[in-house]
Amino acid sequence: MDFATLEPGHQLFSQRITIASDSVVAYLAAVDDRSGPYAQEGIVPPMVVAALGMSQAMKAIELPAGAVHTGQELRFQAAVDVGAGVDYSAMVVQNSVRRGTRFMALEITADVGETRALTGRVSLAIPEGIEGEE
Amino acid sequence: MTIPEVLPAISHTVTQAQLAKYADASGDHNPLHLDEAFAAATPYGRTIAHGMLVLAFVSETMAKNFGRTWMCEGKMKAKFRAPVYPGDTVTTTGTLKSISDAMATYEIIVRKQDGIDAVTVDAAVPVPA
Repeated sequence: MDFATLEPGHQLFSQRITIASDSVVAYLAAVDDRSGPYAQEGIVPPMVVAALGMSQAMKAIELPAGAVHTGQELRFQAAVDVGAGVDYSAMVVQNSVRRGTRFMALEITADVGETRALTGRVSLAIPEGIEGEE
Repeated sequence: MTIPEVLPAISHTVTQAQLAKYADASGDHNPLHLDEAFAAATPYGRTIAHGMLVLAFVSETMAKNFGRTWMCEGKMKAKFRAPVYPGDTVTTTGTLKSISDAMATYEIIVRKQDGIDAVTVDAAVPVPA
């Protein structure tokens, strides 16, 4: 991907993902998290909602392995029930080059129906000359 | 809901097997996290943990202390400062930084066993009126 073409406001993707119970179980096992009442209350850990959106955004821009994840902002706005369909979208909010490094920021939102469940912003530093994966 | 000054520390030792599990669970199969030969050719020299995996430890700390309030109304702003490698043990600590605009903000630090900060985070939850 030619990152220079990704102007602020560029929509990267819009996609619905249904987060099933086995996805939650696999995530909690992977992060070794026994903190939350997720299983009892039937809610999706908010970091699952965030992680799935983030991975889709990274795929959408074909992020090269030389890129560095420099920052992350997340705002959790509503619980997501297990089995719910989550409507994700992501767009470019910053794209500039300084001293040979491209700085990009993407904003990700996750909605369930009319309710905003999550807003996130990821900051990336990409050395110039590295192109996206084919 | 109480607003503690200090949040109890939580430690995790990150493993390569965990990175594989996390990749499957999150959908992030970047070879930087999974392919040792690939990662050896990058500036990191070896595989590194997903940033979002490390942030999961932050969320775990906040969820343990603030439960559903964190899950439904929490905010975090994180800076990634150093990579976490398989074999690293990271400890997450939290200290109350401020209470303003009806939000309690904690400084969360994910620190490696060698004293290097991997991630620093401002994490905030609403406080009861």
